[in-house]
Amino acid sequence: MVREPLLPGPGLFRPAAFDEAAAERAGYASYSYWRSTFRTFLKSPVSMVLLGIILVLCTVSFVYPLVSSVDPNKVDLDTAAWNKAPGPGHAFGTDGLGRDILSRAWHGTRTSILLGIVIAVFDVGIGMVVGALWGYVRGIDRIMTELYNVLNNIPQTVFLILMTYIMSPGFWTIVLALCATGWIGIARFVRNKVMTIRDAEYNIASRCLGTPLHRMITKNVLPYLVSILIMEAALTIPYSIGAEVFLGFINLGLPPDMVSLGNLVNLGKNNFMFYPYQLAYPTAILASITISFYIVGNRFADASDPRNHV
Amino acid sequence: MSGEGKGGAILSVHDLRVDFRSGRKTVSAVRGVSFDLRRGETFSLVGESGSGKTTIGRAIMRIHAPSAGEILYEGTRVSGRIGAARERLLRQQVQMIFQDPLASLNERAKIDYIVSEGLYNFRLFRDEAERRAKVEKALLEVGLLPEFASRFPHEFSGGQRQRIGIARALVMEPSLLIADEPISALDVSIRAQVINLLNRLKREKNLTYLFIAHDLSVVRFISDRIAVIYRGRLVELAPAERLFERPLHPYTRALLAAVPEPDPGLEAGKRHLAYDPAMHDYGREEPAWREVEAEHFVLASGAEAAAWRGRL
Amino acid sequence: MSAPILRVADLDVSFSLRGKRLHALRKASLELAKGETLAVVGESGSGKSVLCKTFLGMLDKNGRVDSGSILFEGRDLARMRTEKDWLRIRGKRIAMIFQDPMTALNPLKTIGEQIREAAALHRGMDRKSSRLAVLETLERVGIGEPELRYRQYPHEFSGGMRQRAVIAAAVACRPEILVCDEPTTALDVTVQAQILDLLKSLQKDLGMSLVFITHDLGVVASVAQRVAVMYAGQVVEQGTVDEVFHDPRAPYTWALLASLPQLGVKGEELYSIKGTPPNLFKEIKGDAFAPRNPQALEVDFEFEPPPIAVSPTHWARTWLLDERAPRIEPPETIRRLREWLAKRRAADATARNDGPGGVP
Repeated sequence: MVREPLLPGPGLFRPAAFDEAAAERAGYASYSYWRSTFRTFLKSPVSMVLLGIILVLCTVSFVYPLVSSVDPNKVDLDTAAWNKAPGPGHAFGTDGLGRDILSRAWHGTRTSILLGIVIAVFDVGIGMVVGALWGYVRGIDRIMTELYNVLNNIPQTVFLILMTYIMSPGFWTIVLALCATGWIGIARFVRNKVMTIRDAEYNIASRCLGTPLHRMITKNVLPYLVSILIMEAALTIPYSIGAEVFLGFINLGLPPDMVSLGNLVNLGKNNFMFYPYQLAYPTAILASITISFYIVGNRFADASDPRNHV
Repeated sequence: MSGEGKGGAILSVHDLRVDFRSGRKTVSAVRGVSFDLRRGETFSLVGESGSGKTTIGRAIMRIHAPSAGEILYEGTRVSGRIGAARERLLRQQVQMIFQDPLASLNERAKIDYIVSEGLYNFRLFRDEAERRAKVEKALLEVGLLPEFASRFPHEFSGGQRQRIGIARALVMEPSLLIADEPISALDVSIRAQVINLLNRLKREKNLTYLFIAHDLSVVRFISDRIAVIYRGRLVELAPAERLFERPLHPYTRALLAAVPEPDPGLEAGKRHLAYDPAMHDYGREEPAWREVEAEHFVLASGAEAAAWRGRL
Repeated sequence: MSAPILRVADLDVSFSLRGKRLHALRKASLELAKGETLAVVGESGSGKSVLCKTFLGMLDKNGRVDSGSILFEGRDLARMRTEKDWLRIRGKRIAMIFQDPMTALNPLKTIGEQIREAAALHRGMDRKSSRLAVLETLERVGIGEPELRYRQYPHEFSGGMRQRAVIAAAVACRPEILVCDEPTTALDVTVQAQILDLLKSLQKDLGMSLVFITHDLGVVASVAQRVAVMYAGQVVEQGTVDEVFHDPRAPYTWALLASLPQLGVKGEELYSIKGTPPNLFKEIKGDAFAPRNPQALEVDFEFEPPPIAVSPTHWARTWLLDERAPRIEPPETIRRLREWLAKRRAADATARNDGPGGVP
């Protein structure tokens, strides 16, 4: 066995004073859940890049309409200005009515992102509360499951189309159509998570202390759901944007006087063979947003799993 | 119906039955258990997994509803449908300590909230200053520093977290503490710290303990009386030393024989007794709970009781 | 003591965790003799599980062996890097069972099939003969009705039976060394007794050497011939079970033995070790146990104690064994331990027959 290079002098062989306080001071490594989550998330260059893309796209789409003077709806009566290829004056070209595509693209992106966020807020907000109660209160499980079976199996597309026919096309129509059935999926997800922690010892301890239901939900259950709620929101946004685009594609989306990615894609598809840029640019922005949100959402979900905190 | 428990019993369990239904099957976790807890004693309930010991503790705390039988605290019924006032009485005066220090604290809440949770539930303080003082006092009593109140559970070791759980129970100023395997998830050297703390608190505050455990060596050290439970029924009840020196029921004997003792010379050659419930001939005569000698009860048929009495 | 079959010398293992390095093993050394059971005792954070995982190359991916050697059959296992090398050792020459049997069992395959695969793979048998071998093995490990049990899935087995199944799979290829990482900690005490009996009898029949990790000194006394005590990533004492229980030398061993509830006197406090184990992220100067050791010498805070022999089979890492150290008696509780052991011997001698069956 290898010996220490320096041998201790004989003088050291005296009993040492025993300091009890020093015994307690021996350290304990600290660990913070959120700090570890962000560290794990930011460690991946892909996450950083995509997060950056999201931030850039969101910032530009919200700032551009404030600083630009180009009117996305301004129709040019001079036919020579119609369907112009990208060039000076119109970085993305113009569409069939001479409207500047760059301006339309950013206005539209803003509308679409706003739509996605509003839907995410409603869906996740309602889904979270209902899901938490569903998972926690045993008695309502049966009826909620039946409700889930019904709502979840309504074909979303058909429902969307139906709602749009019933109520005229508009921003809040789409919000209502998507939220009416979307929340139950999130509620179910939350309910599953809640059921796993429902009988955890700390919850039994709270019940033994007489904690009322509302405080059980807010202090014992919801804090554990934050990370999956963020993930769900991050995934609902691209889904909603995609749904709006799809509706636009089949002429059931937002009214044509509103600018949205859906409308842009709808119009652009008609001229795709001749003027590909009219479809290409909006689609590129759309793809960037949806892919980025999806990947960032999934990576955040991975990072918030404590098992990945190495 | 209020008043003192009869003969100094702070808690009485009468013929408790707890059934669980999963789908169409009904599983009987507790099948007619009766015992009294005397004021100021440490009473241990010992059994293996599936014996029903944890269910009994949780039934007392109203987590599980009894299918039959009743539980009396200070002579008042606290099981089944009771009014809010009685539930409040129970929730304040009877507290529970849990097994897993990693799971029994809310990771997302500060120690301050965790310890004060009961105080908030029943508004047991006049103002913020009083509440803070109560939390500080509880933390100091368990050997933790008051500044820990602003931290989160993950910053503490297992032994410290278990002490936080004890502080949470103490702050309610209980009379009865149910400890559900409080040390089995702790390291060996930490167990002694927590046991010493519990014993000290019991003396200082005149507490009564119901210990639910499976570690027989620790049970022997801390208990006044020990009850052995097998598959939902008590099979033996005796003062601690008596149970270890003169176990009567074959299950108790098998249990004691199975515990490995830190004695290298004798362990190697030890014979293990296996317990087979079929060995009793209960078809002929139902067993009854009999007092075989002073304070020493066994579940036995008449014939068995006679035979075992002879062994004493 | 028969020839050592496994020799660990000055093993250093560290993990990269949240940006820092955790030194899980710091110059850990131990020896396993052929055909014997070595118990490795320690608390959480002592490094006992990490040490035994190095025997099979099963460190987590953020861990690495920094220095030291693990000599087994002429090879240094600490130097083995490729999976290919490990496949020849793992499961074949050295096998491991864990506290939770479900870490080794596939919930989607029948028990019989899983054990049969292990047997067929390692012993090169065909389907029919490996099935017969499995039925025999199931009987051997105490799983009754082997034909029926062969076709069942893990969730249909109780905890104790799952552990038996895992043991069956582990010994299917007749390993030289079986490492058991707290296999009975989660089991009921009566089931634990049966599993320990099973391991002892298998060891005798198959001539295996057993490394048994536990924190329960009773289990140590029951299964082991030799014991290694670990603290803060080092082996602080190793010797035969008699030597370590009757003549412990390392202060941490004293503290561990003193914590036994059997030594408690009703009405008095149980002995408890003050303080908390050290933070292994930091470099430790001197003896890791010194801050918590009432019998520490000043040298314990400055220099790490080397292993010093007490007998050919017994050594301890403590400066107290150095000639220059003052004579320090083991604490009061050790004397009480010896009295307790003597009392048990006397009681056993008088109660040889099927007497009260009690525990003195």
